[in-house]
Amino acid sequence: MASPHPNGPRPARLTAGSIGLYAFLVVAALFFLLPLYTMVVTSLKTMDEIRLGQIFALPATLDFSAWATAWSGACMGTVCVGIRAGFWNSVAITVPSVALSVFIGAINGYALSLWRPRGSSLLFGLLMAGGLIPYQIFLYPMVRAMANINLYNSVPGIVLVHVIFGLPLVTLLFRNYFVSVPEELCKAARVDGAGFWRIFFEIMLPMAVPMVVVVSMLQFTGIWNDFLLGLVFAGRDNLPMTVQLNNIVNTTMGERTYNVNMAATILTALVPLAIYFLSGRWFVRGIAAGAVKG
Amino acid sequence: MHPKRKRNLAATVALLPTWFAAIVVYIGTMVWSIRLSFTDSTLFPSSNYVGFAQYAKLFSSSKWIASLQNVLVFGVLYVAGCLALGFLLAAALDRKVRFESAFRTIFLYPYAMSFVVTGLIWQWMLNPTFGIQASIRSLGWESFVFDWVVNRDMAIYALVLAGVWQGAGLVMVIALAGMRGIEGEQWKAAQIDGIPVWRIYVSIILPQLGPALAAAGMLLAMGVIKTYDIVVAMTNGGPGSSTEVPAKFIMDNLFGRQNLGLATAGATVLVLGVIAAVAPFRYAMHMRNRPRGAA
Amino acid sequence: MKTMMKLFLAGVALVAVLGPARAEDKPTIEIMSSWTSGGEAAALNVIRTEFEKRGGVWKDSSIAGFGAADAAFQNRIVAGDAPGAKQGVIGLAAADFVNQGLMNPIDDVATAGKWADTLPKSIHALISYNGQVYLSPTGAHGESWVFYSKEAFAKVGITEEPKSWDAFFSALDKLKAAGIVPVAWGGQAWQQTKVFNMVLLSQVGIDGFLKIYVDKDKSEASVEGVKKTLDILGKLRAYVDEGSPGRNWNDATAMVITGKAGVQFMGDWAKGEFTVAGKQPGKDYGCMIAPESEGMVYVADALWFPKTGNAETDKAQKLLAEVVMDPAVQVEFSLKKGSIPMRGDVDKSRLDACAQKGLELMSAGKIVPDQAIVLTPQQVGALDDFVDEFWSDASADAATSAKAFFEIFE
Repeated sequence: MASPHPNGPRPARLTAGSIGLYAFLVVAALFFLLPLYTMVVTSLKTMDEIRLGQIFALPATLDFSAWATAWSGACMGTVCVGIRAGFWNSVAITVPSVALSVFIGAINGYALSLWRPRGSSLLFGLLMAGGLIPYQIFLYPMVRAMANINLYNSVPGIVLVHVIFGLPLVTLLFRNYFVSVPEELCKAARVDGAGFWRIFFEIMLPMAVPMVVVVSMLQFTGIWNDFLLGLVFAGRDNLPMTVQLNNIVNTTMGERTYNVNMAATILTALVPLAIYFLSGRWFVRGIAAGAVKG
Repeated sequence: MHPKRKRNLAATVALLPTWFAAIVVYIGTMVWSIRLSFTDSTLFPSSNYVGFAQYAKLFSSSKWIASLQNVLVFGVLYVAGCLALGFLLAAALDRKVRFESAFRTIFLYPYAMSFVVTGLIWQWMLNPTFGIQASIRSLGWESFVFDWVVNRDMAIYALVLAGVWQGAGLVMVIALAGMRGIEGEQWKAAQIDGIPVWRIYVSIILPQLGPALAAAGMLLAMGVIKTYDIVVAMTNGGPGSSTEVPAKFIMDNLFGRQNLGLATAGATVLVLGVIAAVAPFRYAMHMRNRPRGAA
Repeated sequence: MKTMMKLFLAGVALVAVLGPARAEDKPTIEIMSSWTSGGEAAALNVIRTEFEKRGGVWKDSSIAGFGAADAAFQNRIVAGDAPGAKQGVIGLAAADFVNQGLMNPIDDVATAGKWADTLPKSIHALISYNGQVYLSPTGAHGESWVFYSKEAFAKVGITEEPKSWDAFFSALDKLKAAGIVPVAWGGQAWQQTKVFNMVLLSQVGIDGFLKIYVDKDKSEASVEGVKKTLDILGKLRAYVDEGSPGRNWNDATAMVITGKAGVQFMGDWAKGEFTVAGKQPGKDYGCMIAPESEGMVYVADALWFPKTGNAETDKAQKLLAEVVMDPAVQVEFSLKKGSIPMRGDVDKSRLDACAQKGLELMSAGKIVPDQAIVLTPQQVGALDDFVDEFWSDASADAATSAKAFFEIFE
């Protein structure tokens, strides 16, 4: 039985090894944090200060106005409501997309690894090849198809697009997870008369909770941060937050307000960040529920 | 025989929606773009066939050639860098460190950020006039040089640096999820035998994480082919075409340059090229796994 | 799955039924633009305010960034769901849409408003296809400006605007000697192409410029003109800082604003960045046309009017076309956007010093079109590649490159 907690030996106090371990983690953390630090200090500066080009300097005075502007005042065209306008749209697009694609991905991974019906290898190969196509090339034919089935410019339409484009990733992750599940488990259940769906819902899905967490996290991030698909398929009433973010950040000939850009970027990322922070508990709990790997 | 076939039927039915998507969307799009790559389509699809003219044009474009070389260099270093750093971070976090959750979030947060702006931040940090180089010089080390992003020969490594910053956290969580599944007994046994910790990670943990790391590597590789945002935000393909990548080439021609024929030719070459490169490996893996057979 | 699909379809049908019912009697139009930053949005709002005053209903679909806006627009057309109006540059990019029969002409509005008399001839020709007017121009940007820091110039003793390239380079030498970055260079392809064009105009003149870009003339005179242009461009490499590759234009402008750099080559939209920083044209910074130039390169924006198959929208399109060309709107719009009005008969007194210089050149017809106006999007891309390759390769030979230049038209 796997333990629900970290397995490695706890480093003894103040040995060379433990100092080295923490030194490594701290240095790595600094590397990862430097860009965030730069973004935060930039968001708290005035544009006059930013123009000086001292990117690592602390702000002379704390100025939170960029955050307020980014959230509720920044203009996109003639409408000035900030990025909050897209928040609920992003939620409405992301939540069903993640739920559906994780569910389908789990079924795919389970069927492709433990049941392998005829054509499994071909299907998996197709998905992997599909995952390698630059997705911009899908836009034209997909737009035509969605318009034909009347799903263009709608939330169900963009959800369907996200689910389809997420298939390679979710299928791959779940397949590689279930591949390492001992076959005996599945065989034993079948001897007991359990069918495809019962084994899935009662044994496999509960066991795969850590993978469900990881895949949900990845899908959530990918879909939440998607810009192009949302722009093209969601329709003007359902545009996600990233489209507003792009409208704040991106310009060719207009002036740029970097402090607002930074604040808007951090605000847009808050939801996935919160999910990352909270998912830690589920990691541990999922394992405790019965991962039988290795 | 009968019950088995019935059970397999359930599995087949469960996969039907995915089959549908794979055939209609993936194969459909591939066929569509292969067809267009033989036409002179500019803004909208046309049916005026021009043979291999678009392919000839594609391979006479130094920008396209450069983009293929760049994506290869970037891809290898990026995937290797993310896997190595991600595994190290996971191994470090697996050792009952304090503030694990905080560290994990720190290593993972870049993955949540849109590259539209973080790319700009990297551009600033790596810019020799304002960024790290200037800051270190102002501390007194006058000869310090860190000008990757503006240097034709080094700009691609600047992309790798920012890419690893963004992607290593992903490998870390996947590896960590795998490590948490490894039984405690194995640890105890290894420790009783007096095997040093680093050897345990290399010889016992790493092999067991094989499928998880392979999945992570495959995910990163898919990302490599589609590398776009990071390039546009950091270098826009420059200096010169030293950081041009295929996805950007295709996107530029698809919309801005209104060159649908050339864009679809590029996409076709890219996908067929990757399949040709990957297929032998997959086939070998498939044969090796065969004895395992169907459940 | 099936019931879900039914639910989806029912929802879509509901939206379809509710949609037209909401359209009331007021002419309603959806405008797709990429004007989202401060000054741009304020300028767009000038049009909106007047359009609403005249009874129109405005639905804003702004998407920043040319690439994203183009992608969204083209896909809307592919889906058969075109917006009522789209902002874009005048020129060949619009031609494809018109030739495919996707655009509505606004000829009656143009005739009633006597556009032919109030617009420069060359502009009127550019917004007409097959004898009919299709585009409603909002304003023009001068692209061959050199902005300079008065403070930096004063500090190193440059007292007057250099009139020749020789004088210009000796001014740059003075700046360099004083430890100031001489040229704030934005090392992105599109910015570099603008510098190439302004130098080219100074070397071959208005006729020579049109010969090269419009007639695709490859004569010796043209090749020589390009070579001289590349010589000057190559010389400029020595005057930029090492951080220039990939730099945004407004980061470069910030260097001039803070006195870190002396000059910047840029279009007149850079004024917006100076204005936001509280700097006055003519007082804190100067604007001059590139040395030795007899005219100015311009790019012009317009609204395009796609066919939507909706009679109400057609009406709204005509109203909008009229509003855009209103003399008061033209001036107010230009003030906000930092551009130049398209009409010659507007009140010039409120324009700033730079815009007045620009309008003079425009009214006198001393203008040449930007490459986006006269080249196809494919050729524009090839030109960007060409200039970028030359700029970033210090060993490139001007004579050889000058010959290679003409391959962009193939």
